[in-house]
Amino acid sequence: MSTSPPRSGSVPAELVARIARGDRAAFEQFYNALSPLAFGLIRRILRERESAEEVLQEVFWQVWKDAGTFDPSRGNPEAWLITRARTRAIDKLRSMRRKENMFPTTLNEALAEGERAPEEPAAIAAEERRVVEGALRELPVAQRQVIELAFFGGLTQAEIAVRTETPLGTVKTRTRLGLERLRGLFKARGLDLP
Amino acid sequence: MTPDELAELAAGYAVGGLDGEERARFEALLRAGDPAARAALREYEAVLVAVADGSRETPPAGARARLLERIEREGRGAQLVDLQAERRRRGPWRAVVGGLLAAGLAAVVVGLALSSTYERRLDDLQRETATLRDELARQQAVLAIVRDPSTQSVALAGLAPSPGARGRMLWHERAGGLFVAEGLPPAPEGKAYQLWAIAGSAPPVSAGVFLVTTDGKGSVRVPPLPGVARVDVFAVTLEPAGGLPAPSGAMYLAGKS
Repeated sequence: MSTSPPRSGSVPAELVARIARGDRAAFEQFYNALSPLAFGLIRRILRERESAEEVLQEVFWQVWKDAGTFDPSRGNPEAWLITRARTRAIDKLRSMRRKENMFPTTLNEALAEGERAPEEPAAIAAEERRVVEGALRELPVAQRQVIELAFFGGLTQAEIAVRTETPLGTVKTRTRLGLERLRGLFKARGLDLP
Repeated sequence: MTPDELAELAAGYAVGGLDGEERARFEALLRAGDPAARAALREYEAVLVAVADGSRETPPAGARARLLERIEREGRGAQLVDLQAERRRRGPWRAVVGGLLAAGLAAVVVGLALSSTYERRLDDLQRETATLRDELARQQAVLAIVRDPSTQSVALAGLAPSPGARGRMLWHERAGGLFVAEGLPPAPEGKAYQLWAIAGSAPPVSAGVFLVTTDGKGSVRVPPLPGVARVDVFAVTLEPAGGLPAPSGAMYLAGKS
């Protein structure tokens, strides 16, 4: 029912180096370990399953082609992957909105999007989800909002400032404080952060 | 940059919230191997990986099969396929000519030529992407101003030097604004139009300098003005090119909010 979660930081950088050398077994191992992480994030941004799958394919295709550009001194494979997955998903979200001739969602819609649970909770590692959601809920709303609007909603901090009628400097400070607070909350709940 | 500023920049970068200019600034730090920038980013990214981990979801089984099929079909993409084809073509030719060394050299030359062509093309594409991304960020910032209900729209009417001119200012206290004008005479050599924001009885604050095209149109993107919230009057004067700290020349356009 749920995938057993290989924890953050558990995929060795060496695996990506092997992919860069054209090692398909390494690629499959990478996919098996990290596709649920990427897919969950893409789904959270796009919600629509078919588009999410399309983006997932594209992200892992890029991993296969561009594994040589991964620089272990700049972060771990998970961070590298979710940056790519997020960027692609946001690009897709924007192009879908353009096609539907929609302006980016209003503040309330964007917030609702960020809070909406994926449709298939059964496929999610329930314990992990509980910890993360719990920590997010403990975050002051203003801090959670700026993180979710940017990370899941694809808004820039300048856009968030306008929409939430908050000075840009406050948006920046809240983002930073929110991430630091989350880090503390995750650690206190026993998540092993690198 | 103070440690706090750096941490805020890193946090903004990690959530993907920086606009073009700030993102470029932080990426330059990363490229330069700035240890504080890298450490801060790694810390925030780890938090976001954990956040993403909370939504973990197994993709449909078909996705993996389709991906592996594509890899089987396309290998590593066009670049590698071309180079392999090139090598295959060189095989028989080399046998005919016989000169192993010469052929080896030729292959190296072809390889180098190909790879430098690809690198150049890649560089061009990367530059183009960066330019488009920055342009997109600018457009989105403008769009955000236009869409916001608290944005003021102020019409500016032409005054004595150019009664037929007109302008419009879209102004948002925190996001800045966008000013467009038409019907202004081209500024004489060494002169430029300067836009002013006036709040209450405070002295006018410069909101930027602009020139007009031959058909009299001009525009200027105004950043948020420190210390200026609600603006009562916007005005345009003709000043020495580069602008002045306070207006000195004739007023061409003015409008009350």
